[in-house]
Order: sequence, then C-alpha cells, then structure tokens
Amino acid sequence: MSENILSEGTPVTSTSDVLTPVVRRSRADQIFRGIATTASVTTFILMGLIGTFLLVKGYDALRVAGWSFLTESAWAPDQGGAFGVAAMLPYTVQIALVALVIAVPVALCTALFITEYAPRKLRRILTAMIDLLAAVPSLIYGLWGLFYLQPRLITLSKWMADHLGWVPFFTVDDQYGTSLGLFPSSTFVAGVVVSLMVIPICTVVMREVFSQAPAGEREGAMALGGTRWGVVRDVVLPFGRGGIIGGSMLGLGRAMGETIAVTLIISPSFDAKWSILDQGSNSIAALIALKFSESSTFGISALMAAGLVLFVITLIVNAAASTVVSKSRSGASTEI
Amino acid sequence: MSSDIALLDPGHKAAGLTATNVSCWFGTKKVLEGVNLDMAPGQVTALIGPSGCGKSTFLRTLNRMHELVPSATLAGEILIDGVDIYRGAIPVTDVRRRIGMVFQKPNPFPAMTVAENVVAGLKLSGMKVTRAERDHLIESCLTKAGLWNEVKNRLGDPGRALSGGQQQRLCIARSLAVSPQVLLMDEPCSALDPTSTRRIEQTISEISETVTVVIVTHNMQQAQRVSHRCAFFLAAENEPGRIIEEGATREIFSNPVDPRTNDYVNGRFG
Ligand SMILES: Nc1ncnc2c1ncn2[C@@H]1O[C@H](COP(=O)(O)OP(=O)(O)OP(=O)(O)O)[C@@H](O)[C@H]1O
Ligand SMILES: [Mg+2]
Repeated sequence: MSENILSEGTPVTSTSDVLTPVVRRSRADQIFRGIATTASVTTFILMGLIGTFLLVKGYDALRVAGWSFLTESAWAPDQGGAFGVAAMLPYTVQIALVALVIAVPVALCTALFITEYAPRKLRRILTAMIDLLAAVPSLIYGLWGLFYLQPRLITLSKWMADHLGWVPFFTVDDQYGTSLGLFPSSTFVAGVVVSLMVIPICTVVMREVFSQAPAGEREGAMALGGTRWGVVRDVVLPFGRGGIIGGSMLGLGRAMGETIAVTLIISPSFDAKWSILDQGSNSIAALIALKFSESSTFGISALMAAGLVLFVITLIVNAAASTVVSKSRSGASTEI
Repeated sequence: MSSDIALLDPGHKAAGLTATNVSCWFGTKKVLEGVNLDMAPGQVTALIGPSGCGKSTFLRTLNRMHELVPSATLAGEILIDGVDIYRGAIPVTDVRRRIGMVFQKPNPFPAMTVAENVVAGLKLSGMKVTRAERDHLIESCLTKAGLWNEVKNRLGDPGRALSGGQQQRLCIARSLAVSPQVLLMDEPCSALDPTSTRRIEQTISEISETVTVVIVTHNMQQAQRVSHRCAFFLAAENEPGRIIEEGATREIFSNPVDPRTNDYVNGRFG
C-alpha cells in the first residue's frame, strides 16, 4: 500500500521515506486562494510594468550615457552635455539618512511610550493623533518646514557647524566663516523636514507591532519581578524587531521618494559633498519634479533613467529589509 | 537540595501570605467575594474548585498580577509576613519577585535560549551572578523542574522550540531561579505527563521548607499528595466565587463539613 508520492518509480528506501501531505481544498478555500493569488500576482506584474516602463522610457538616455550615468554629476541632457546621478544619488541618500537618524529613535520611543507607559486614555488619544499625522499630505509638512522650521533651524545648523565642526558631516568650509546665510537650503534642513513626515509612519507601524506583544510573555516577565523597562527589553523589543525594521524601511522608502518638501527647501547643487549643513543639496525626486516641465524628449528620457535608479535602490533596500525581518522571529508563535 | 534554592539569598526564608476579605471585579462583574485565607510559611496550600469559580483570579491578586488586567478592580487586604503588598512600602517589582508565579498557560520567552529563559528573572530584576553560579543555577533549577535530562544538550535552543509540557517545566524552572519566598502555581501539571508531574510534586515537597507554595489544581489526587491545607472555591450561578470550606487537606478530603465540598472532592459535582 505504501508508495512514495515524491519520487514515482524509484524504489522506496525506508529511511528517506518523506511524505508529502496531500491537501484537498474546500471550494471556499479554493476561491479565496484564487483571489489572493491574483492580487499578489497583480502587485508583482505592476512592479514589473513600472520597472519596464522606466527602462524603456529611459533607454535613449541610458544608451547615450552608458555607465557614466552613475558617475557623472552634471545634469545637462538638453544642452547636449553630460548627465548622470552621481550628485543626486548621494544627496538623496543623505537626506533620507538624516531623516531616518532623527525619525527612527523618535518613532521608537513614541511607540514604546504609547504601548508601554502611557495611561490608557492618553494612549487612545496619542494613537489617534499619530494616525492623523501619518495621513497629513507631505506638502503641508513641506510648507510648514519652509516657513516655520527653516528660519529656526539655521541657528541650530550654525551652532553645530561652529561647535561640532570636527564631525566630518558637519564640517563647513567657508573661507568667510560661518554666517547664517550659509545654512537655509541644506541637506540637513531638508532631512529634518522629511523626518517630520516619516516619524508618524514609522510610529504607526512600530506601535501596531508592539501592541501585539503577547500578554502572556509580558505577564511572565512581570511575574519575575521585571520592571516596565525589563518587559520592553526582554519581551516587546525582541517581539517587535520585525516591526522596527519594517517601519524604518517604510520610512526610508518615503524619505527617498519625498519630492515636494525637498523641492521647496533645497537649492539644487550638482556637486556631491560630505557636509550636510551648508547650502546646496539635491534629490532625484526633486530633480524630476523641477525639470520635468521644461525638458525635451531626450531630457525626459534622462529623468526616467534617474527614476529607474531610484526605483531599483528602493527595491534593493526593501529586499534587504525583508530578509532581515524574515530571519528574526515571526510575530506569532505557534501554540503546541 | 533545598539549599540550592537559597543560593542567591542565604538568609532566604519562606514567607506567609494572608488574604483578608478579598473581593475582585472585572468591570462591574464581581467574580470573587470576601475571600479569607491564611497561607502559612512553608506550607503547601491547594486551591480547588470547578472551572470559572475564581481560583486563578484569586491567585493573581496574591502577586499583583490582577491589576494588570484593564478594568480589573479589587478590595480587601493581602499581607506578606504582615506587610500589605498593595499599600505597603514594598515596591511592586519586589512583591512579584518575592511571590513568584507559574501560569496556567506556558509563557516562556520565545526569543531567548532555554538557558537564558531560566535566568531571565535575574536579568529582569537586576541580580548579578557569576558565570559559575549561573551555570549551577541553570542546572539545579532545570533538574528541579524535571527538565534537565531532556534539555541539557540543547540549552542553546530557543525557548519556543520546546514542546508544550517542556515549556511549562521551563517556566517552573524560571520561577524557581529567582528564589521566591512564595510560589503561586496555576495548574502547573495540566500539560504534563505522569513522570514530569511526579517530579514537579517532588520538587514542591522539597522546596516547601523554604518556599510557601499555593497551587491551583483540578486533580484531587494531586491536591491530596502535595498540599497541607486546602481551600475549596465555588461560584453559584450568577454569583461571585467564594471559599466554601478551608482547612487541613486530610480533613477536607476525608471529613468535609460542607456537603458541597464532599460532593466536589468525591467527583459528584460540577
Ligand atoms: N480578563 C477577564 N475579564 C473578564 N472576566 C474574567 C477575566 N478573567 C476571568 N474572568 C471571569 O472571572 C471568573 C473567574 O475566572 P478564573 O480564571 O479565576 O477561574 P478559574 O477558577 O481559574 O477557572 P479554571 O479552573 O477554568 O482556570 C470567570 O467567570 C471568568 O469568566
Ligand atoms: Mg484558572
């Protein structure tokens, strides 16, 4: 009676006789499976389409520029000059990193405060407020950043340049000394403004995950004499690792793609530099937004190629993140 | 053997618990009323009664776990060696460390290894131990929980990789490691095989010199085997749970005063 379902025809060896369970699905199960599969395939196809679209549209420019597209920092496709993302790409990453360096710790602490420390009533209010903030359009943040935050941040920028100038990123080499006029349109200011819109998104994700940390484990930790911080350290954070990374990556994606706020703040520069405090920054998204309406067909092709670079980088970052997440503990542990 | 338990705290002594007129609510629903119970130092007290009569709830008031449930409220007084655990000067984290708990459902820390799980309480309550003490503690606590032989070669495995019964014993080992003065056990053996159950019962007898044990059990034989005193809880329909009868285990089982106790211990009830 016993037959090896795995390898038809080959003799069944008693030790490596692994069974593959046959699953017969019910009708409802099949239908749902069909819908779910279609939906996920659609997502996949959509991503393929976007990538292909960018590649096709950007092909003309990429053919002309070749690999120099990644190493050239000037941007003059319409004038028949050289063009590439070597300046925009580092600026984009710098802005995103500034945003994350601020946003992730703030979001982490906010999420922990909401789930672990806040009284129940406050918890509800804060949760609603964070959800609301996450839904505010980025233009609003951009405008507020431009008119309110920027003038106030430059004093901080100057202070940092004067006192923390020894930190590589904060070095401002200006032969005339640091005047306030040097600071308004910098990577730093753009990064801070972007961080404001990233914080709520990260917080929403992290709070959601933290609040699902199993009550049994929390109680277990408390029953051993654990403090709230002990519970956070030994139960909530290990459980929420995936959420912390996932939330950060979602924020990173948003920060790298952020267009309007960055466009409002920066003054475009095509020379990459380490220092983030002084004048001049750039980003791929901002470049596309700024140049789109005034570009020739070839210029648009170059912008599409830049968009493709952004798209690919976002994909790589997310793939890396999901690998990390899947290696950490999955949220639910099975009950035995 | 019992000296191992006091490894971290040489002056360690069992503490007595006294519950006076304890009532509990979940929201507006009263689930316990007027419970008085004296749990003398070094004695094993068994709490018995049908499902839903409030045994777990009562147990959870004894180390301030009850208040963690939103909407849960409480009246009455609980003293450890004469000091009020709710209004007294003992910080709540100390209360919980001195009065340990094994939960009805196993709840090991899944991300920690088996060994880390055992000593998790030390880290949580900020106790420092040397490497040798730590290793000794891991072995002795796992032995007492009847788990050492099964896991001694897989101390580095994550806690979640153990079976349900193994997880429960891991939780018992974990609670022994912080040398509590009182140990509350909520049906600790309900997921265990007879051999492990026997080992746990043996451990309860061994530690009862230095640890006061309060155990909830649905197993009448177990109550008779391990406990010195016994309290029978019962909740009439739509009424809060109460202690119907309480006394020496021998009396409760052989010569109960209340007919309902008699019915319950002889299996003719609920
Ligand atoms: N978190 C809660 N919220 C509301 N009601 C609760 C909660 N926990 C317990 N109860 C109620 O309190 C009563 C006592 O519950 P408890 O868990 O103490 O019973 P038990 O005697 O331990 O039962 P079992 O033997 O099944 O474990 C039950 O009626 C139960 O429905
Ligand atoms: Mg119970």
